[in-house]
Amino acid sequence: MRTLIKNILLIIIIALYSFAVFAKDNLVTDLSESTVEISSTFLGADILLFGAYDGQKNDDIIVVVSGQKGNIKVDKKEKKFGIWMITESIQFSNIPKYYYIASNRKIEDITNKSEIKKRKLNFNNFDLINNKIDYKNLDKKWYEALKRNMKKQEFWKVEENSIKLNKNTLFRKTLSLPSNVSTGVYNVKILHYRKGNLISQEESKIKIDKTGISANIYDIAQNFSAIYGIIAVIVALFFGWFTNFIFRRI
Amino acid sequence: MYIYLPIAEQPINAFIVLGIGWLVGIIMGMVGIGGGFLLTPLMIFFGIPSPVAVASVANQLVAPSVSGVLSHWKSGNVDFKMGTILLVGGVIGSSIGVLIFNILNAIGQLDLVIKLSYVIFLAIIGSLMFIESFKLIIQTKRGKATRGKLHQHNWLHGLPFKTRFRKSKLYISIVLPLIIGIIVGILAALMGIGGGFIIVPAMIYLLGMPTSLVIGTSLFQIIFVAANTTILQASQNQTVDIVLAFILLIGSVIGVQIGSKFSNLMKGEHLRLFLSFIILLVGFKLILDLVTIPLDIFSISVIQ
Repeated sequence: MRTLIKNILLIIIIALYSFAVFAKDNLVTDLSESTVEISSTFLGADILLFGAYDGQKNDDIIVVVSGQKGNIKVDKKEKKFGIWMITESIQFSNIPKYYYIASNRKIEDITNKSEIKKRKLNFNNFDLINNKIDYKNLDKKWYEALKRNMKKQEFWKVEENSIKLNKNTLFRKTLSLPSNVSTGVYNVKILHYRKGNLISQEESKIKIDKTGISANIYDIAQNFSAIYGIIAVIVALFFGWFTNFIFRRI
Repeated sequence: MYIYLPIAEQPINAFIVLGIGWLVGIIMGMVGIGGGFLLTPLMIFFGIPSPVAVASVANQLVAPSVSGVLSHWKSGNVDFKMGTILLVGGVIGSSIGVLIFNILNAIGQLDLVIKLSYVIFLAIIGSLMFIESFKLIIQTKRGKATRGKLHQHNWLHGLPFKTRFRKSKLYISIVLPLIIGIIVGILAALMGIGGGFIIVPAMIYLLGMPTSLVIGTSLFQIIFVAANTTILQASQNQTVDIVLAFILLIGSVIGVQIGSKFSNLMKGEHLRLFLSFIILLVGFKLILDLVTIPLDIFSISVIQ
């Protein structure tokens, strides 16, 4: 099975490459899967990103995967009456719940600061939008705490030196999504740099969806929550009765 | 085998959860009191968010309670009249409890209150159980087991709305069982417990009910309190994880049956002494988590 997949991939890569060369297209990429389904046995997913580019020596490739944006609350605990309790919270809005950056070498060496800022090649340049909070004058510790915790849970991750370039024409990268990844459409951006300048880019999308029983359960719980509660009770009632019925006979 | 929990949104080892449910079920069956107050903190230790743990354990409680009531009913050990008054209080109480739950959730202190309530209750119940069973063991060793009066008259019997409970051979006011029901209901909703460890002593010492009827009657009311809590939590907070509850209930109902079959093998006071150790241990672990410096004083949560 493994070798079969490898062979198929190799064929695809060669096809892509020849396509790229003939079409004089600078960068062509594809993903092994464009949808990830979170089923009841989901433990995370590996997606293979592979691509061909019309490269020269010392060209660079950066891959950025960004997930759905949402609101993330940072809570600060303080010791009160001998107990550590939440005393202050700050909400960050419009923050990507998943953000992954990979490259073939240190990003600082690939391109300059303004390009890093423009393309969001680190975690410091997201567009925070919230009418209630003045993020500019907020103590830096809050954003640092957000960054630290997002990294710890692997929702935000940077892997420099993790993309292997092959003869300035091919590259591949396994994108590992953690088991607690949130659903939504993920944007995969592949950037091709030459001497610090972006010369071509490609975009793909990965759709992450709940599927099977766990998706149905989630949907019912959200949309028909009262019925869900009643079903939950009936299931428990039935099994309570059923075991009594079984064990009476033993 | 890992199973993805749709509401808690994380995978969990199904066999370990099944095993925990089973072990707690055995304890329930042997000692005769509910396992919610052990299951909920254990689920929290496992990394299940505390609101989901509380609501799902309340859901699973329905099952062992039903199967327990059915056995007690067969032996004629359920006072349905008393049970009905308790459950009316329980349903009112659990509705209030879910309301408090929502308020605490909105101000961001739910997690702390759940853990603190557990620390307080586990400490009280654990120490009381320890002292009581220890005394009994000493007394039996000395060979002079004394027993106090079961049914004492006090001011509580002077309350209005008196009614006769034939089964329990009592003529008391319905106000007291109603209040007990309300208190237990609030705790059930907030902590994911049936409240057996509160209602059982309350029924014996405050209401003066015969001990033989107490467990069956309390289980009867727990079914309704747990069911009401489950439906309210599911419809207002979407915190009931039916998959988690299902794995737990399969383990616990089997455990309860096995436990009750073997309850004669060990003396009640020895069992309770053993249980008091577990309760104190769980409480100690919870308080340790609250007083030690967190690895990071900042934490994050995604807001839907």
